[in-house]
Amino acid sequence: MYSLNENDELRLKRNALNIRKNILRLIKADQAGHLGGALSSVEIMTALYFQIMKVDPKNPRWEQRDRFVLSAGHKCLALYSTLAEKGFFDKSLLDTYGSLKSIFPGHPDMHKVPGVESNTGALGHGLSIGGGMAMGLKLSGLKARVYIILGDGELAEGSNWEAAAAASHHGLDNLLALIDRNGLQIGGRTTDVMSYEPLDERWCSFGWSVREVDGHNLKSLVKAMSAIPFEEGKPSLIIADTIKSKGFSFAEDKANYHYWKATTEEIEQAEKDLAEIERRLDG
Amino acid sequence: MSEALDPRKTFGEALVEVGEKNENIIALSADSSSGSQLTAFKNRFPDRHIEFGIMEQGITGFASGLATTGKIPFFVAITPFVTARSFEMFRNDLGYMRQNVKIVGRCSGLTYNTLGPTHQSLDDLALIRTIPGVVVLSPGDPVEIKKVVHAAAEHIGPVYIRIGSPKMPVLFEEDYNFTIGKGILMKDGSDVTLIGTGTLLYQAYSAAGLLAKDGIKARLINIHTIKPLDKEIIIKAARETGKIVVVEEHYIAGGLGGAVAETVTETFPVPVKRIGVDDQFGSNGPYDQLIGLYGLRAEQIAETVKKFIM
Repeated sequence: MYSLNENDELRLKRNALNIRKNILRLIKADQAGHLGGALSSVEIMTALYFQIMKVDPKNPRWEQRDRFVLSAGHKCLALYSTLAEKGFFDKSLLDTYGSLKSIFPGHPDMHKVPGVESNTGALGHGLSIGGGMAMGLKLSGLKARVYIILGDGELAEGSNWEAAAAASHHGLDNLLALIDRNGLQIGGRTTDVMSYEPLDERWCSFGWSVREVDGHNLKSLVKAMSAIPFEEGKPSLIIADTIKSKGFSFAEDKANYHYWKATTEEIEQAEKDLAEIERRLDG
Repeated sequence: MSEALDPRKTFGEALVEVGEKNENIIALSADSSSGSQLTAFKNRFPDRHIEFGIMEQGITGFASGLATTGKIPFFVAITPFVTARSFEMFRNDLGYMRQNVKIVGRCSGLTYNTLGPTHQSLDDLALIRTIPGVVVLSPGDPVEIKKVVHAAAEHIGPVYIRIGSPKMPVLFEEDYNFTIGKGILMKDGSDVTLIGTGTLLYQAYSAAGLLAKDGIKARLINIHTIKPLDKEIIIKAARETGKIVVVEEHYIAGGLGGAVAETVTETFPVPVKRIGVDDQFGSNGPYDQLIGLYGLRAEQIAETVKKFIM
């Protein structure tokens, strides 16, 4: 069982901080964006891109690479920020967000953004696409794996459950799906809007091997991600408990920051919040 | 014109042929392998035939993911379920992602003559031709079905193929020249142009023959590629014959008739008569009688043409 040492954990925490800084940089460029789900998934993406996944920023289409699909495409500010941090493109490009010349649409586009593997945005597509990738990798005899982030509100799309059954039926144990369970969607608490709880039992009943972790604890995330497949012959699922808008004090656990039209005061507060995280890391 | 062949069986044979040539070609089934004539492919390449059960939306997404690893999926099922039902997956996961996936809708049009509107497909061309970058093919005889499958396998990018089910008379020689996006002049004429496609090409062909007997020189064009449309051959026909009649087993809204009207309206406006099913769900009954209900039989087409050009 893999365990992060303290140096690695500190390194990842700095990566996560920089990703949050990048998210704020993107939002400052257009004064708006899907904030809540981006911030809740930062640690998940940090663990994937800076500890778990085999990718080469200089060769984004390397055949042996692990694949990542952001099924909840509206979390793309986190993905762009992570790819920038990983070196897939220059960070200065983030300042173009929202402009006509920007390579960053409000949902991911694989033909515009280096490192993006699939076009998502309409919910309930990513698990099928990622399932097909995992199946294709197996058919081709490649050892690479596929990682997918799903939103918890997204699970109400029935197409997810078609894909969940198929991934299990075809034994895609090179597939790890991660549910960013921040518990909120546009209309309020996910359990109030349309509950798919208990998620662990539902996914187990679909033939997946399931673990639950604290989605902001990098040690726990890396430990779980390193253990896949949890069971041979089964796809793996991590239910990551997270806080919507994690890191921005004024927006944490509030549904109305799903999409953020930023005010000057809020941006100033976000900068202070990130400075405080940095001060604690330096201390 | 001699024999008539089963279009589905012909498709199944063609898929084995392209499978022999390219080992990346795989077949995806939605619990309809036998009906989709994938059995021959499955027997020949058991590891390259993947069964998913009845989940067309999910299969379309899986096809997209498989294509990212170099596979060339042919996903074959009953037409409305691979077009209308899974339209968003077709648009986003195949079109927007520009994936090398081939979707084959079989038993198109009114083929399911007794099963009713849930299984009939009169809107698929209208839907799929709106998706940027997707090639839309509608073969008009068994020889053309084989040509289309080979061309789709060689084309890099998303392709939609529409085939029917009733036996199709052979209209073309094996060695005729087929190119995606190039219409075929089957018969020259100067009084009017008849444009046919797919499952009703034979009826249009026969109608042209009936018109000739009445001294009407109808030009006959086969448009096997709905998209990209051969605008050149259509505009030339508009200039040289002045009137165009389009025949298709599809709604008159949005199909080939719509595409032809869009083309001539912007370039060389001439009257266009669209023969197809008007604004109603398909009925049920024996196939020949059912297409007759909508005026799609050769003798009805000929009569409509006569009235149109008078």
